[in-house]
Amino acid sequence: MQITPTLGLLLALSFVISLIALSILIWAIANRQVRTPDQDDARTIFAPGEGAEIDEHDKPHHFDPVRAGIDASSARPVLWLVGAAVFWLIYGSLHGLAASLELHLPDMMTGAAQMTFGRMRTVHLNSVAYGWASQAGLASVFWIIPRIFHTRLRHAGMVKTGIVLWNIGVAAGVAAIASGWTDGLEWLEIPWQIDIILAAGAACFVLPLIQTARARKVHHIYVSGWYFLAGILWFPVLFVIANIPGLHWGIEQATVNWWFAHNVLGLWLTPLGVGTAYYMIPKIIGKPVYSYAVSLVGFWALALFYSQVGIHHLIGGPVPTWLVTLSIVHSVMMFVPVIAVAINQHVTVARNLWAFKESVPLRFISLGALCYTLASFQGSIEALRSVNSITHFTHYTVGHAHLGAYAFVSLVMMGAIYQIVPRATGKQFPFPRMIMWHFWLNVIGFAVYFLSLTIGGVLQGLAMLDATKPFADSVTLLKPYLEGRSLGGGLMTLGHVLLAINLIALAFAKRETTETDNMVAAE
Amino acid sequence: MNRYLPLAITTLAILAIATLFLVIAPGMQIRGQGAAPGLQPYTEAEARGREVYISMGCVYCHSQQPRATAQAPDAERGWGRASVAGDYAYDAPHLLGTMRSGPDLMDIGDRLPSQGWQLTHLYQPRAISSWSIMPAYPFLFEHKDKAAQGDVVVKLPPAYAPETGVIVANQEALDLVAYLRGMRHDYAPPADGLRDDGYALMAAQAKSKTEAAKSAQ
Amino acid sequence: MTDKNKQDPRLPDETFEPYEANRRIPLPVYWIAIALAIWGVVMLVQTSHSTLLADKERAALDKQDVAANAPVGAEPAASGKTVFNANCATCHGEFGTGSVGAVPPLANSDIVKAGGAKLIAQIAMRGIDGPITVNGTTYDGHMPNFASALDDKEIAAAASYVARTFTGAKDGVSAEAVAEIRKASAGQDPWAGGAELAAATPGLPAQPSAPQAAADMVQNADVATLVSQGAGSVWSCASCHGDQGEGTQTVPRLAGLPAAYIAKQLHDFQQGTRENDSMAYVAKALTDAQITALADHYAVMRAPSGARPSLDGDLARGEQIAREGDWSIGVPACFTCHGPSGFGVAPDFPALAAQQPAYVAHQLAMWAGGSRHNSPLGLMAGIGKALNDADRRAVADYLASLPPVPATPKVELTAMRSDAQPAKETTNDQ
Repeated sequence: MQITPTLGLLLALSFVISLIALSILIWAIANRQVRTPDQDDARTIFAPGEGAEIDEHDKPHHFDPVRAGIDASSARPVLWLVGAAVFWLIYGSLHGLAASLELHLPDMMTGAAQMTFGRMRTVHLNSVAYGWASQAGLASVFWIIPRIFHTRLRHAGMVKTGIVLWNIGVAAGVAAIASGWTDGLEWLEIPWQIDIILAAGAACFVLPLIQTARARKVHHIYVSGWYFLAGILWFPVLFVIANIPGLHWGIEQATVNWWFAHNVLGLWLTPLGVGTAYYMIPKIIGKPVYSYAVSLVGFWALALFYSQVGIHHLIGGPVPTWLVTLSIVHSVMMFVPVIAVAINQHVTVARNLWAFKESVPLRFISLGALCYTLASFQGSIEALRSVNSITHFTHYTVGHAHLGAYAFVSLVMMGAIYQIVPRATGKQFPFPRMIMWHFWLNVIGFAVYFLSLTIGGVLQGLAMLDATKPFADSVTLLKPYLEGRSLGGGLMTLGHVLLAINLIALAFAKRETTETDNMVAAE
Repeated sequence: MNRYLPLAITTLAILAIATLFLVIAPGMQIRGQGAAPGLQPYTEAEARGREVYISMGCVYCHSQQPRATAQAPDAERGWGRASVAGDYAYDAPHLLGTMRSGPDLMDIGDRLPSQGWQLTHLYQPRAISSWSIMPAYPFLFEHKDKAAQGDVVVKLPPAYAPETGVIVANQEALDLVAYLRGMRHDYAPPADGLRDDGYALMAAQAKSKTEAAKSAQ
Repeated sequence: MTDKNKQDPRLPDETFEPYEANRRIPLPVYWIAIALAIWGVVMLVQTSHSTLLADKERAALDKQDVAANAPVGAEPAASGKTVFNANCATCHGEFGTGSVGAVPPLANSDIVKAGGAKLIAQIAMRGIDGPITVNGTTYDGHMPNFASALDDKEIAAAASYVARTFTGAKDGVSAEAVAEIRKASAGQDPWAGGAELAAATPGLPAQPSAPQAAADMVQNADVATLVSQGAGSVWSCASCHGDQGEGTQTVPRLAGLPAAYIAKQLHDFQQGTRENDSMAYVAKALTDAQITALADHYAVMRAPSGARPSLDGDLARGEQIAREGDWSIGVPACFTCHGPSGFGVAPDFPALAAQQPAYVAHQLAMWAGGSRHNSPLGLMAGIGKALNDADRRAVADYLASLPPVPATPKVELTAMRSDAQPAKETTNDQ
């Protein structure tokens, strides 16, 4: 017990460091706004200085990426990524649906080990996390980064190599898991041998982005760029460190596991989703985001606090008390960046509700952004010890995970796909009504899904905490809610199928002869 | 913010700090604990069975971390005492789990040590518990006309038994059951065992509140 | 917001590239950040309190364990009395007077006088199973062995206390001597009545000869297979309940439970009046004859205790509930129905001593929740509801610390089943 106070002090120090860093940041922002030597710098950030040679002075932020040949440079890799992502979305959704059905129809698919729940569920997670969400996010990144930097994408060929490697890696990983070859850690199931392919693929994405960033024609980096450029650095570091075999075991490995598993959400999928929303919302509405100062707080507070929340997955477990508390405190501090992002994104949408009605992609994206706020608030509250006692180990957590990974990240990405693909191909989606169907199937399906698991999860947790109820009660009471989850999941999957149909139809549709067409063809 | 290099360095530095506090510092403390006295390394059969447990994805429904009595009635359910870091010293990968769609299995070998029970239950959980949602694992078993020398025959009620012949456990099933039966942590935990003690204060406060209410009556 | 801003939703103005407006951070963001930071610091302080408290509780539990194992402090005589009152007086009486016709007296006992503290220690270490004559009266002797419940110092203190206080002996017995006795008694059956004692200890008064039947019984072959290997679809009993019927976690100890009680539970499982998936599975495959035979098998089984306190229960509180009850919550003492020292009262009241703590706590909880509802007169439901989580763990842990019940002798089984009395004590308490 002698070591605990020392370590406790050390970890308390970590929280204090985070607080001091945040204070300095806010202080700096506040002062800069009053009167600082950086005033000129700030002016160049916000106003005409950037790209003055391209833009006219009265329209400082108008820039035509199509005419500049920027979209043409990135269209191919982006479309490859979108195609692959949607394939994995369908593949993953079907596996998710099957796993969901297996939970209330346990004798449905018992013929082979490949179809058992433990593998179906894991194939689902890995195909949607690494196949769908990551690649859809990367599609946004490669579309948006050249646009905000006013320069064409560098090393597009390398990106394509990365895409091929990445998909080989995901396919091999998923096949390995289905056949029973797994590293056995949640979010890190893909065997480390296959992870080498994925890491190589990821490396092929990093360099072109850095090169494009360095070659940018604007001085200022727009907020989406911070998230993307940070995320694309964070993810490979996390992924490689967490997958080095033989380094950790036992409880130490559990802390590494959850350090990774939460950071892959917080420092990878979240930056992809938030960055995409940060670009798409003002882009579609045609209005700037609310405040540069607030976006700074949002970004740096996310980096400071989100990176240390992982151990809230081990509350009440065999890990040092201090470590758990550290993660709980940081989880709750996540309110700060989430509120900041919420102000910037929701205020912009709320002041322009007409666009919400007009643009279907914006509906996906701003609803997704709203779900980011909800998921994060929910996550912060879920990390409180008293709440966690009930919700941990239950399907409530699964509902929460889907609020983040699906209702936030996936909705934003689907909106981005609907926004990007017509511009990247110069073709319109052949079935615009189907997009509406997709939207409502997802919204209704997810509402059913989320409410089922949230209500069922709380009841399940309360039953497990009540010693006077046999364990069987926590299982039997859950069955109708598991059926509800399958229903919701089925509707969501159907929506994804509509997206795929629209994309395939678009791929085979005739191109309208426009200027864009010539640009794409020229590439 | 308009410079890439400072952005990259600062973001990576923040991640490095997080790693230091979340992984390296506690890792050193946990490593210093070593294996709990009384913890046995896995036997060969148990280690093979553990691989089956991992490959079937049992961890996605079964946790291996009983909570303290201050937090939850796990001990009353027979799931065992609250585990400490030293109980997992031989675990790679760790299998703490995050779901309890099924019960905690940290002490399953203590609670249900019967090989016969485990085999029946793996072959068809609903042969025992009609409400169970656990997958059946018939592919870990073989249907034979007649049990050969050394075969372990699975005991099954008529409703689930084959019409002719017998169901025999294959090696994977036997290994898995060996692992489950070996899951017993009934030794006393080390006095300085590491675990989350954050619920002690809440439990004490709740206790003093009920006592105050009682004495007020 | 105005109409001129409206764009074709699928073709917005492509030349607009997003940027951030220059606005201050809204004040509420500061307030929220400051409030959360303060909350975070409070959490950290609370955590330090919590860890200190948990350390203190662990230390208290450790001390309780030590106390349970070795309460003998500096004054052996005084602590001998404590050990005696806690473990022996429930049957032999506080003044060693015994119980007429049932429990032999210790006070002025000719056996104690002849054998002294050493003999008492020998008896305590192995227990008695067979007829024994004390002061001219022959008793049907069944005494549990205290080897698992008490350590050498405690047995030495209690035995010395008995010899000195009740027979005026000058010499006690040392803990070292008790350690020797423990070594010699390891693996031995209980003393087969006074005859075996007399053979080992010269100078005892005349003792009746031990009946052969009480020793090794010829096992029913069918039952032996059922217990050790199972039969048909039924798993072996021993695979869960242990080779010696000592139980584990929520699997109960069966050794020494009343045969009628075991049989009733199996019938209840069979008919669904007691719920347990695994036991229903087993019981449904058993014939009535098999149930009777199994009940007998376990009723006469002698086994050391396989239980130890393991639920972090407060043993003092548990002892209070077991021995005195808690009238503030309307709970009678366990021992009023379940017999002195929780040895059980056939046919309805099972032994509780040395029962698995998780089993006891879980069953109490199941009664409270209504999942178990097969106790006579519904008595246990009320008790289960009155006890809270900590009380359940406390009493379960205390009962686990007790020495195991002496088994029902085989010769008595038939008699007990035929004139099984209705539970006359059950109504006395409420």
